[in-house]
Amino acid sequence: ISAGGVALGAWLRGEMEASELWVGFVGAGRMAGGLVRGLLQAGKVPASNILASAPSDKNLEAWRELGCRTTHCNLEVVHRSTLVFLATKPHILPGVLEEIRPAVGSHHIVVSLVAGITIQTLQRLLPPWTKVLRIMPNLPCVVQAGAMVFSRGNNAGDEEATLLKSLLSSCGLCEEVPESYIDIHTGLSGSGVAYVYLFAEALAEGAVKMGMPGALASRIAAQTLLGAAKMLLETGEHPAKLRGDVCTPGGTTIYALHQLEKGALRATVMDAVEAATNRACDMAKD
Amino acid sequence: AGILAAHKITASSPDTDLPTVSGLRKMGVNFTVSNKDTVKSSDVLFLAVKPPIIPFILEEVGPDIEARHIVVSCAAGVTISSIEKKLSTFCPTPKVIRCMTNTPVIVREGATVYATGTHADVEDGKLLEQLMASVGFCTEVEEDLIDAVTGLSGSGPAYAFTALDALADGGVKMGLPRRLAVRLGAQALLGAAKMLLESEQHPGQLKDNVCSPGGATIHALHFLESGGFRSLLINAVEASCIRTRELQHLADQEKISPAAIKKTLLDKVKLESPSLSVASVSKVSLFTNKSKKN
Repeated sequence: ISAGGVALGAWLRGEMEASELWVGFVGAGRMAGGLVRGLLQAGKVPASNILASAPSDKNLEAWRELGCRTTHCNLEVVHRSTLVFLATKPHILPGVLEEIRPAVGSHHIVVSLVAGITIQTLQRLLPPWTKVLRIMPNLPCVVQAGAMVFSRGNNAGDEEATLLKSLLSSCGLCEEVPESYIDIHTGLSGSGVAYVYLFAEALAEGAVKMGMPGALASRIAAQTLLGAAKMLLETGEHPAKLRGDVCTPGGTTIYALHQLEKGALRATVMDAVEAATNRACDMAKD
Repeated sequence: AGILAAHKITASSPDTDLPTVSGLRKMGVNFTVSNKDTVKSSDVLFLAVKPPIIPFILEEVGPDIEARHIVVSCAAGVTISSIEKKLSTFCPTPKVIRCMTNTPVIVREGATVYATGTHADVEDGKLLEQLMASVGFCTEVEEDLIDAVTGLSGSGPAYAFTALDALADGGVKMGLPRRLAVRLGAQALLGAAKMLLESEQHPGQLKDNVCSPGGATIHALHFLESGGFRSLLINAVEASCIRTRELQHLADQEKISPAAIKKTLLDKVKLESPSLSVASVSKVSLFTNKSKKN
């Protein structure tokens, strides 16, 4: 068992202070920012234990404001962290991996957030002993209401999976899945957030058409989505049943739903998820 | 269904050549060409004529209606109040029940609803319910829901036949012999309906249970959704219901004179079903359901 593994185990058992886990981010863009905010809000890791690198200072300013440390040197991040998140743009990653490869040891846990880069690719470009995991988060991690799925590589074991899950559950839903689900998750939830924004906008516009001021309509639309989602998650009931519960015979809701069905909304949404998933697959192949 | 002996049933029709007539005769039902005779020998009277004919059937048999009679109208779109109004000139407190059933009563899997009129007792409704429950599902509703029922389960079998025809086409296209395709399609719908009726689960949940991830079914369902399958069905039920109301409205207004209808219909368009009536001896307690539907 490596030194890092022992430390990790201790951390997991709560014997180690959170202050002793060192977390690094290679790449400091929006997704990384979302994760780190979630981590910080949950209080699992102090900001001073977090080190982020980026080529320019543009993004790093915001990290410093959170209390994190920053650098322009990717190697430094690897040297000073146990848990390393890779959060670069996809076309940059291969170069970055080549750069940090010499510094990656068996105590490291490397978690890639990079869209479209498979575990196979990651393992190919890193030393053979590296513990690799791949995660696909979504934007609402920023407000601790994210949906994330992750898969493990050959050397990543239960301890690493448990660590990741325990750290990131503070950001929202975090589930381990077979790697083949990751592209589907992109289509469903990664991109899915945008579908919801579109729906919210359309709801509000409908209300504006009927005479409600836009700002109020938008807030109500958002709250409606939030409330409905909350009921779905908390009751565990089938959405069709919840939908039926809202539909009084001959009432307003069923009239509206009929319009949605006429517009083949369901099929369109299925098309959207399919398109995004397929695109994710295609991009991964490039 | 064994709920009534055939000799207790009397049916009448002006046209004795109809295939339904000989069918009824073979079953042992008493047949007559006189509507009045039917009324006299019955306690429960089913009016099963076409809706425009109802007004003057009522005129014809009105004088023979007595307090004991329960008049059950199966005519689509004909309101209880219109029947009561017509009969009240002959009988002060006519017992009227309006019902809406559907064709699968033939195989004892009908869907029937009924609404009781002003002077019909609870017992009268229960009697009808017992009769109709022997040929399927039967429940009481408020009269204003009957049009919706027409749209759903009245016309419903037609939607199902259409769907089955198309499903069979799909099977044939993919290589199945027609007979087998029809048989399998019908059995699939029958089985699904049975599962739904026997389950507590929402149809959406039952649908999910069939759809394995990335499998055949979910691919097929996507096609259905793309074609607006659900909205088509909603549209159909709505259209049928609205049309029923339209017909009812026209009938209420009695735009066409009854005499003109009678002449036109009897001369040119033969009545497709005779009026059928049921003779019962007494009340509910005398009925024993010997052989219920399986």
